[in-house]
Amino acid sequence: MLGHATAQDASGSPLQDVLQTVQADVANPSRSTVPAVLGALLAADAPGTVDFLRAWSDREVYERPDDGLFFYARAAGDDLTLIDIDNGAEIATVGTRDVNQIRPNAGVRREIGAALVAFELTHPDPDRRIAALDAAARSPEPDQIAAIQAARATETDPAIADRMDRLIALLVARFDQDSATRIAAIEALRGDVSTPARSVLNQLLQTRADFAPTLPEDVNVALVKTPGEEITLAAAYEVLVAAGLAPAAPGRNAIRDALRANVVDGAVGGVPVHQLDNDASRIVAYQALQDAGTLPPLVTEADVAEAVAQYVFFDVYLEPDAAVTAAAAAAQAATTTKVALFQFLSLSFDALSLASIFFLAAIGLAITFGVMRVINMAHGEFIMMGAYTGYVVQTIIPNYTASLAVALPLAFAVTFLAGVVMERLVIRHLYTRPLETLLATFGISIALQQLAKNIFGTQARPLTAPDWLAGAIQINDLVSVAAVRVGIFVMAGLFLLLLLYILNRTRLGLEVRAVTQNPGMAASMGINPDRINMLTFGLGSGIAGVAGVAIGLVAQVTSEMGANYIVQSFMTVVVGGVGSVFGTLAGAALIGSLQKGIEWFNPTNTLAAQTYMVLFIILFIQFRPKGIVALKGRAAGD
Amino acid sequence: MTMETTAAPQAATPNRSFLRDNPSVMWFIGLLGVFTVIVTVLSEGMGAGVISTNLVKILGMTLCLCLIAIAMDVVWGYCGILSLGHFAFFGLGGYAIGMWLMYARTEIVIRDNLAQGAIPATEQEVAEAVASQIFGVVGSSDLPLIWTFAGSLPAQLALVVLVPGLLALLFGWLAFRSRVTGVYLSILTQAMTLALSLYLFQNDTGLRGNNGLSGLQNIPGALDVPQAIISVWFFWASAVALGLGYLLFAWVVSGKFGSVIRAIRDNEARVRFLGYNVDGYKLFVFTITAVVAGIAGALYYPQAGIINPAEIAPIASIYLAVWVAIGGRGRLYGAVIGAAFVSLLSSWLTGGGAPNVDLGLFRIVWTDWWLVLLGLGFVAVTLFFPKGIGGLFDYLVRKKP
Amino acid sequence: MMKKTLLSAVAFTALTTAAHAQAACPIKVGVLHSLSGSMAISETTLRDVMQMLVAEQNAQGGLLGCELEAVVVDPASDWPLFAELTRQLLTVDEVDVIFGAWTSVSRKALLPVLEELNGLFFYPVQYEGQESSRNVFYTGAAPNHQAIPAVDYFIDELGVESFALLGTDYVYPRTTNAILESYLLSKGIAPEDIFVNYTPFGHADWSTIVSDVVALGAGGKQVGVISTINGDANVGFYTELAAQGVSADDIPVVAFSVGEEELSGLDTSRLVGHLAAWNYFMSADTPENEAFITAWHEFIGSTDRVTNDPMEAHYIGFNMWVNAVEAAGTTDVDAVREAMWGQEFPNLTGGMAVMNTNHHLSKPVLIGEIRADGQFDIISQTPEVPGEAWSPFLTESATWTSDWQTLECGMYDTATSTCVQLTSNY
Repeated sequence: MLGHATAQDASGSPLQDVLQTVQADVANPSRSTVPAVLGALLAADAPGTVDFLRAWSDREVYERPDDGLFFYARAAGDDLTLIDIDNGAEIATVGTRDVNQIRPNAGVRREIGAALVAFELTHPDPDRRIAALDAAARSPEPDQIAAIQAARATETDPAIADRMDRLIALLVARFDQDSATRIAAIEALRGDVSTPARSVLNQLLQTRADFAPTLPEDVNVALVKTPGEEITLAAAYEVLVAAGLAPAAPGRNAIRDALRANVVDGAVGGVPVHQLDNDASRIVAYQALQDAGTLPPLVTEADVAEAVAQYVFFDVYLEPDAAVTAAAAAAQAATTTKVALFQFLSLSFDALSLASIFFLAAIGLAITFGVMRVINMAHGEFIMMGAYTGYVVQTIIPNYTASLAVALPLAFAVTFLAGVVMERLVIRHLYTRPLETLLATFGISIALQQLAKNIFGTQARPLTAPDWLAGAIQINDLVSVAAVRVGIFVMAGLFLLLLLYILNRTRLGLEVRAVTQNPGMAASMGINPDRINMLTFGLGSGIAGVAGVAIGLVAQVTSEMGANYIVQSFMTVVVGGVGSVFGTLAGAALIGSLQKGIEWFNPTNTLAAQTYMVLFIILFIQFRPKGIVALKGRAAGD
Repeated sequence: MTMETTAAPQAATPNRSFLRDNPSVMWFIGLLGVFTVIVTVLSEGMGAGVISTNLVKILGMTLCLCLIAIAMDVVWGYCGILSLGHFAFFGLGGYAIGMWLMYARTEIVIRDNLAQGAIPATEQEVAEAVASQIFGVVGSSDLPLIWTFAGSLPAQLALVVLVPGLLALLFGWLAFRSRVTGVYLSILTQAMTLALSLYLFQNDTGLRGNNGLSGLQNIPGALDVPQAIISVWFFWASAVALGLGYLLFAWVVSGKFGSVIRAIRDNEARVRFLGYNVDGYKLFVFTITAVVAGIAGALYYPQAGIINPAEIAPIASIYLAVWVAIGGRGRLYGAVIGAAFVSLLSSWLTGGGAPNVDLGLFRIVWTDWWLVLLGLGFVAVTLFFPKGIGGLFDYLVRKKP
Repeated sequence: MMKKTLLSAVAFTALTTAAHAQAACPIKVGVLHSLSGSMAISETTLRDVMQMLVAEQNAQGGLLGCELEAVVVDPASDWPLFAELTRQLLTVDEVDVIFGAWTSVSRKALLPVLEELNGLFFYPVQYEGQESSRNVFYTGAAPNHQAIPAVDYFIDELGVESFALLGTDYVYPRTTNAILESYLLSKGIAPEDIFVNYTPFGHADWSTIVSDVVALGAGGKQVGVISTINGDANVGFYTELAAQGVSADDIPVVAFSVGEEELSGLDTSRLVGHLAAWNYFMSADTPENEAFITAWHEFIGSTDRVTNDPMEAHYIGFNMWVNAVEAAGTTDVDAVREAMWGQEFPNLTGGMAVMNTNHHLSKPVLIGEIRADGQFDIISQTPEVPGEAWSPFLTESATWTSDWQTLECGMYDTATSTCVQLTSNY
């Protein structure tokens, strides 16, 4: 401020003058100090205040530490050109370390946004108006009602007008002076499952715990808590102790410490020290000291009950108007069922999404393992290979949509080829030795995983979805599904159809079935079993590659991603029933919904859900070894 | 070597001696004995100091791995059950002994500390202090129920045998009863391993989750004995266990019992039709090998010093199968060779012991390429040398006559 | 014959131990960071930093007239191997100090060996506290360096009243969340406003958890997420946040394990405004930091590589060790240890780091907002905070303190005035 007086002409810089009166709080804004600053600035109403607030919030204001003055700035190479905040004149060009960029945090920005609501609501740019409404919704205040109502009168955009109406209703329900108006507004919220509506109701119904000798008349009581039922005796007593109305009950540690402090000649209260290694003799010693008046008395259960009985414990609504809280409680009760229903729906969508990922990961196996009976432990690595193909394509083609369009077929081609090579070099030598196939493909899996680590490193690589897949499909505030998950669901469905078509409606499918059922007979009918095996294996592997791209979009691309899915994929195939594409579908649905179900029961520990799911699968296979869709007759094999 | 003389009469059939019939057992025990003596004489703790304490520990741990490899060979090479769960039993044994090691050591420390207090501690205070020392690092201070017997060495030693044994018995009974065989059984055992490792990964399990149990190399009651000495003790114990285990399994797979389980491997249905209780035989083999795996684990982890759920992950059991396959299935010494060869080679290559190979354009860094090599080598063994390294002995033996 | 070799072997060991006592040249610096396996991505960088620091020190004429030699070994993200290699470094290579480890479990694995053989160890990563070993200097953040200030920031500056504590299921999140839960309760946050969730390493399916967090908003309170999610799982978590349209204005997320290195592979344009708490950000605009970044880019031969908090921790730790060795005039562990107490060295973000007698540093706490370019905007910087070995917010450690200078104990119970134990819990 001192620097300012000498540096600037007072009349020529009205805004700077006002700012200097609250210099420290502008330079180091905090949520606790910003309301005062805003009040001072808006009260002074210097020209350019609103623009300054916007710039301040957008971190475009700089402070010069030498004199504490504020400037706007424009980048000039590595340096900054300072601009006067009052007249827009360029002052000087300085290095970045000569000035401090003021960076208000999100809390401060929210306050600034709320203060600007009135100015922004009539801004010609609709985006700014929506942003202002967002700001108002985040920090609702009573005086916003008038501002929004005024803006509503001139609003032409129907969508924004609708949002304004809803916001006004919420604000009225919360802040209006007139009880009847509020109750009417609350009634209108009945059955509204949107988050703002439910949060308004919750806020109206907030309580605080209290106690008194008798139940007071003049408060809006929510619940009277009977000790021993709604509140435990110990908890009630704790409340009294905290309020200084009852002596604290010494716990075991307090007793020990008290005795420790009163050792006299190797004994405490007449009890020799070496005998004090159990609670009973410690209490005897304590009581001896208590009788002697050295220590405060122990608190017995009877003492606790007696002390608690002298008071009433209850919860009080923060909202004093009983009619309002009653209306809010009724409105909230009306939405409860609806909320639960939507939450179930949301969980179902999650389960569906998980199931489609499992299905995609396992469907390739459904062919190689299910139809050909070849156990391919490197299947997970084909998924990984597909995902890395997607990643590589993305680094070459910057457009996410185009790169996805290239990556999907390319991933299929790459893994198809890898599958064919593996089948030719390794698996065909082992068709009669299934356990050996398992081990050999394990070897390949280990090698491929390490190879991926050597090439791409161990860091997770992102596979970014294009913008049209990045958002969420929002049904309401409770149910929303990420668009990319819907995409995966659709893809899983397409693959199901494609596979069914290939197996049941094409020449290839016919030959595949022929070769798997009786290779010798098939060969004598002019089918080349070698070629068919190769193509089938390639098809299964190729689908794994495409699945890899899809999984990479929701999760992360690492060299270990395949290993994370391999056991689950085999489970899916085995649980569903080997040899049936529909079985795999059923298996994926079962595992997906089961995992989400267990997660719902125990939302704090996702790992537990996975453990119990695997356990369930083990038991399930014990009792239904052939899976959900068990093939009957000859096709069942064995 | 008294153990041979006690084992031999039991196995002796009227006119054939078990040992004469299985000269490899004599060879093996003899070589193991010589090896043990050499290591002891050269060790840092008891001998010349040529072999560092670290190397003694590595060799001791390798012996434990050889023991579980033998068990794996019996269950897979002889009985045809490709179990991908035996490392889980190995880990369970380690956890059982680890609980005692941690609890007892902490209890000693706590009792020493509490004894300094003005008044003696109650048993409850001791238990609480121990719990908060053990579980303080995972944000808890209560002793979980499964630690009930952790203070008692005999109880935990019993658990080393009982936990893997009972789990194998239950799992095997369920699986064999419903005739799950072949690759299905492999996948099922892998699922069991996965479930177990996921279970142990949770902190709620009460075994310190991802952190596992550590500081296991400090033996309560011998806290003042230097690690150089303790490492030799454990080396001896591992050698004795391996010798006994080799004898036991050599005896099991010879004679009629061995013939039956080999027959089960080759054609289960035919053995069943011949009236044998196939499920019983399989269950016995599965359970006894699981128990031996648990014992091997209980000897291994005090030498490693730390056990955590990552040790139990399915991949470990797969490596076990890899060792046995490379060493040569269906012969016990093959499993030992495979386990010793691959695990020592692996620690040599990944430990930076091997020089990197510079090929001009390309540099082979062994830590990066070892697993690729192992994987591909394994494929080659499966395809071209199904008898593994042990198969080489066939050539040697055949050449003689 | 045999006798002769035996004798010479004995003589050899005797010789080497004698030589060790006099701090022979060259002075060996052990570097124990995983160069392969799952942790390699984080730890390899720290190996490089150590090699850079050693090379710089040698360029300045070494230490005590000796060359420094970095002995690099690879524990391969295999925890038992950390113990094995620590023993090898201390007994076979006979290093004078070790810099290394990243995960808590690897530190716990090597602790017994370190304490048995009286080694000297510098641990550079933020961790859960509840430890103060005689032989370890903790140059990373303790919970009160990172978690507590971040929560204060949430409450005071962002007005958060409802907390979601999301973590990977292992020791660091578990302990940190236990501390935070108790701290939040002491701040008057109701238990029902604290949602805790643990997920496995590399967790990929985040849709339900993110929905759960969004659902907390219906309570009418400002929701904030404290994330101790580790490693790869962050990719899926932030992707899901972006997909469900959760902006930092609605539900801010502060992460303790996400820094420049973790963000370097991610499309951060959708994460702008989310937070991280560290003691260092690459974007700190100081001359020291600029010099460090320049040196790093020159050493590694690429200007794309970022710097991060554990790198600064090694930078401070190494320089403090160098100064302590010079002050002690020897590399003897006990002498250097005592010389370490009170060592000061300038932070890269300004101010002085001080090594306290509980073996933890006093460092400033920084909170940064993610920018679109993967760097952080520093929006809050506290003065130096002394690191606490034992959290006062956990009942079992509330009365414990650590002071190796006056109390000569790392786990001292002030209630009974006794030293609980001289070794550490592992």
